[in-house]
Amino acid sequence: MITVNNLKKSFGDNEVLKDINLQVNPQEVVVIIGPSGSGKSTCLRCMNLLESVTEGEILIEGVNITDKNANINEIRTEVGMVFQQFNLFPHKSVLENITLAPIKVRKWSRQQAEEKALDLLEKVNLLEKANEYPNSLSGGQKQRVAIARALAMEPKIMLFDEPTSALDPEMVGEVLDVMKQLAKEGMTMVVVTHEMGFAREVGDRVIFMDEGYIVEENVPEKLFDFPSHERTKSFLSKIL
Amino acid sequence: MQGIKDFFSNIWAAIYDWILNDLEIRIDVIIDYFPLFMKGTLYTLGISISAIVIGCILGLFIAFGRLSPYSIIRLPFVWYITFFRGTPLLVQIFIIYLGVAPLFISGAGTTKAVISAIIALSLNSAAYLAEIYRAGIQSIDKGQIEAGRSLGMNKVQTMWYIVLPQSIKRMIPPFGNEFITLVKDSSLASAIAAPEILYWARAVNTRFFITWEPFILISLIYLFITLSLTYLLNYIERRWNIDDNR
Ligand SMILES: Nc1ncnc2c1ncn2[C@@H]1O[C@H](COP(=O)(O)OP(=O)(O)OP(=O)(O)O)[C@@H](O)[C@H]1O
Ligand SMILES: [Mg+2]
Repeated sequence: MITVNNLKKSFGDNEVLKDINLQVNPQEVVVIIGPSGSGKSTCLRCMNLLESVTEGEILIEGVNITDKNANINEIRTEVGMVFQQFNLFPHKSVLENITLAPIKVRKWSRQQAEEKALDLLEKVNLLEKANEYPNSLSGGQKQRVAIARALAMEPKIMLFDEPTSALDPEMVGEVLDVMKQLAKEGMTMVVVTHEMGFAREVGDRVIFMDEGYIVEENVPEKLFDFPSHERTKSFLSKIL
Repeated sequence: MQGIKDFFSNIWAAIYDWILNDLEIRIDVIIDYFPLFMKGTLYTLGISISAIVIGCILGLFIAFGRLSPYSIIRLPFVWYITFFRGTPLLVQIFIIYLGVAPLFISGAGTTKAVISAIIALSLNSAAYLAEIYRAGIQSIDKGQIEAGRSLGMNKVQTMWYIVLPQSIKRMIPPFGNEFITLVKDSSLASAIAAPEILYWARAVNTRFFITWEPFILISLIYLFITLSLTYLLNYIERRWNIDDNR
């Protein structure tokens, strides 16, 4: 579904990603962990070209998205993204946040987009907030709206960049529940997170990144309980 | 005590006398010329409003050019802004009137003066408005743009549906200042004989040798226009804030 070959990314002289190779299979949930500054966000952002790629290639369903002739906007409709800071549109109601892209990009009718949006709001348990504005929502509610907004485009892949890191602890659960449900339904997901419980429970594979490299990857039980690299061990001992 | 009181009443009597007799307010001239002052007001409004509308549209294009990541595209816009902000508006008006307008309007009629004034004021205000647009656009969090793009919206859609609606609220106060400046600066058009209100005040002044009547009258007209504009913009800003906090 996603294939990353020899990906390198530099900001000026600062090489942030150094030779990343990675494969995500359909319906798989891949969790990326690693210390701050290791390049997790950058790696994720390359997968929908929010960052340009310096070297290497990324294939999504066989389409080389790093090709100069690739249609970036079309690729992005297939790849949903959820941000740490939610990035809801404050001037639009919850419903409008969700329907905007389907109407403008997918060219759906308003009615069709609203039906889809209401379905999704029901799914994330926020139907009663449809006509509220983002400023009146709690952090957990905002993030659930953001997930619904990304899902409205019917993407084949969902990317999550620390979706619960900006939340008060009591709200983390409600967002993780939505993500678990999504995983259960077979969505292909790449999740950067510090929630090790989530990684263990729903992750099919965990990738440990450090200093721009993938140091180690394995099924969660093996990686968490029997890490094979020193750096993985010391990272896990710090956060667990 | 009595002395002080006398002193003030003497001064008051002198001022009163001066206003009534020495000033010789020529209400009759103002009444005669009133229709022309009204016509002048229409010209002032027409020139100002045209320049505001054209300047707003042109300014948006210039702002986008100025924001281009490519320096080849960006540079001409930077020069444009530098030129129009760095040279006197009166000089720009003369350049347009004497240099540019003759290329496509023959003769020396009112039309040429009015059109030249509109063009010069539009080009000039576009430079200032472009900088206001740019500041407004750049004040929007980058995450908003990334959210829009990650949903598959292209640059134009993201700008139009997400960035501009949020930034316009922040642009209203500086836009108001620019519009008010523009109304006042439209008086410079009198230098090329565009028949706006300053032109008529000067005409009355040279013909009848009276100063206070025409200039106070047009000052009041300018005040009326600028205060109305301030009121209107405050109203729009309040409305916008209410809408945003729904
Ligand atoms: N736009 C940018 N310009 C320059 N440097 C950047 C940019 N974005 C990220 N970096 C640098 O790249 C490195 C990796 O950043 P990245 O955000 O990918 O790390 P991360 O693993 O997501 O860390 P965190 O856990 O703190 O989110 C950091 O050293 C950061 O300073
Ligand atoms: Mg990060």
